[in-house]
Amino acid sequence: MNKEDKSRHFDGRTDKEAIPIFITHEEFRLPELESLTKIEHVKISYNKEEYRKNCPFLVVEIDSEKEATRLIKRAILIRNIYELWGMGKTYEEVHTQVKSKPERWPPYDYKSFKFIVSAFGSTCSSDYQVKIINSFAYLGFKGDIDLKNPEVQFGVLEDYGLDPYLPGPPPEPYMIYFGRSIASGNRDLIQTYNLKKRRYIGNTSMDAELSLIMANQALAAPGKLIYDPFVGTGSFLLTCAQFGAFTMGSDIDGRQIRGQTNRSIKSNVEQYNLNGKVLDTLVFDICHHPFRDNLWFDAIVTDPPYGVRAGAKTLGRKEPFKRPLTPKLIDGIPAHKREDYYPPTKPYEMSEVLSDLLDFAARFLVVGGRLVYWLPTVVDEYSNSDLPEHPSMKLVSNSEQNFGQWARRLVTMEKFKENIIGEHANVLNAKGLDNLSFVYHRKDDVIKEKQSGFKLNLNLISCILKNL
Amino acid sequence: MLQCHAKNCNSNNYPLQLSKVEVVNQETEFNPMFLRNMLPKLEWNALVKTAFQINVTLPNALPESSTDELDEEFLKTLHRVLLETHIQQGQMTCPNCNHVYHIKDGIPNMLLDETEA
Repeated sequence: MNKEDKSRHFDGRTDKEAIPIFITHEEFRLPELESLTKIEHVKISYNKEEYRKNCPFLVVEIDSEKEATRLIKRAILIRNIYELWGMGKTYEEVHTQVKSKPERWPPYDYKSFKFIVSAFGSTCSSDYQVKIINSFAYLGFKGDIDLKNPEVQFGVLEDYGLDPYLPGPPPEPYMIYFGRSIASGNRDLIQTYNLKKRRYIGNTSMDAELSLIMANQALAAPGKLIYDPFVGTGSFLLTCAQFGAFTMGSDIDGRQIRGQTNRSIKSNVEQYNLNGKVLDTLVFDICHHPFRDNLWFDAIVTDPPYGVRAGAKTLGRKEPFKRPLTPKLIDGIPAHKREDYYPPTKPYEMSEVLSDLLDFAARFLVVGGRLVYWLPTVVDEYSNSDLPEHPSMKLVSNSEQNFGQWARRLVTMEKFKENIIGEHANVLNAKGLDNLSFVYHRKDDVIKEKQSGFKLNLNLISCILKNL
Repeated sequence: MLQCHAKNCNSNNYPLQLSKVEVVNQETEFNPMFLRNMLPKLEWNALVKTAFQINVTLPNALPESSTDELDEEFLKTLHRVLLETHIQQGQMTCPNCNHVYHIKDGIPNMLLDETEA
C-alpha cells in the first residue's frame, strides 16, 4: 500500500508534519538540519523566530512524507519526525484539530499500533499517560495494540519548557503536539562509533556524536573526496566514509597513524568495514605539503591541534639560528634519509595554524566545498569577529560547545569563489588566542568533569516540524 | 596527486618514481561516480607512467568521450589502479632532485629535513 498517497488530503495538499528532534548539542541542531536539506535536496521552511535553543520541538513545512524520511535518515541530532495531526496549548485544542481531519484516520483503522506520551521538562505518571491515550479513543482504531513492533506509532508530546527560574515544572504544558511517527534519525550510529568500542583511539579522538555531526556539516556523500590534514587517529576519516565519501588524511606524526600492531587507523577501518572508502593516510606537515596544485577536495574536516590538549607542531626549531643547518649523520647516513627519521619540530601558534588551514582550504577545495573545523575560545573574551576570514570562504555556521570558562566552536565555511593567488586568510582577530594553551592545560581536569555534566543537562532536549 | 616539495625543487617534480615496491590488491566496491569526479583532476600522463612502474598498463590517451559516457571497461581499469592497488612498501623518488620518500606499511612519509623545508 502506498502510504504517501494515503497521507494526502482531498484538497491536494499534504498533511502537516511534525518533527520532534532529540538533541544534545543545542547550537548544532539548526546547522545540521540545514546541511541535511542540502545533502538530500529537500526543501523545508520554518519560522526561525519560533526556534528556541532550549526547546526540543520545531515545526517545519515539508512537501511529502518521502522527503521527510529522506531528510532525517542520516540525522544525528534529529530523533524523530512526526506528521502533525494537532497542536495547541490545551488538549481541547489538539482534539479539535485532530477531529477536523477525520479523512486522515482510515488508513490506520486495522493496523497494529502504539501510543506514546512523553513530557519534555516534566514527568508523567502511567495513570496520566493512560488517561491521555484514552482521550484519543474517538480515532476508533480497530487494529491490535503492539508495543514492540507496531505498524504505526502515534505520539503525544508535551512541552513544559525548561524555565530555570521556576522551582519545578509548571502545572500545565506550554504546548502539546499530537502526530503520527514517520521516521527516525540515525542516532544509533553514535553507538556504532562509540569511542569505547573503537579498537584504536588516542587521547584526542573526537567523540562519536560530534564526529558524525561534522560529517553532516561537510556534506559527506558518495563519490566525494574528503581530507583531514591533522588526522591523528582518524575519527573523521571513519564518519565521513560512513556516509559514503572517500577519505584521506595526513599528520606530521606518523606514529599516531600507524599505532601499534593490530591497533591503528587501518584496524579501525577494518572494524567499521570501511575498506576501500578510507583511501590513504600520509605523513607530512601541512605547512610543507606535497599536493600538486588542483581542486582535489570536496571537503576538509579537521580538529587542528591548537595545544589545548595536544600541542601543535610544525617543521623547524624553536631557536632557528643556534646551529648551522647541515644534515646530521647517523651511521654515515644523513639522518633524514633514515626510515625512522622524525625531524625537529617547533610549536605552531594557533593563529598560524588557522591561517595555513584557511589558505589551504581556499586553494585545494572545489568551489562549493566545505571546511569544517574546531576553534577553541575563551568564553568571556570571545566575539564573533574573532573568527578567521578568507576572501574566498564564507561562514556557514558556528556552533559553540561550552565547557565553562572555555569553549570550542565548530566552524563550517564554504568556498564560494575561485581562490585568487596572493589572497590570504585574515586571522588578526584570532591572534589573541595564541597564548592560551597554558591555561587550557591546567584546566584539563575541570574540563573533563564539565563535559560529562554538560551531556546530562542537555539530553532531555528535543524539536517539532510541520507541513501546511 | 603528489609532487616533490623540497625547497627549490619546482619543476619536473612529479610523478614521483616508484621503486622497490610491494603491491597489494584489495577488492573494493566499484563507484563510477567517484571516478568520474576524480578523472578531470588527474594528470593523465603522470598516472600512466606511475601505473606502468607497477606493471599496470593504461591507455596512453584519455578516451575522447565526455566524462558521462566513459565506458565501463575503462572505468573499471581506473578503479583497479586508483582504489584497489595499494603500495605497501617502497620508495618514491623525485625525478628532479632525487629526494627519496619511503612508503612503509602503506603510509608514505613525505616529511622533509629541516634543510629542505
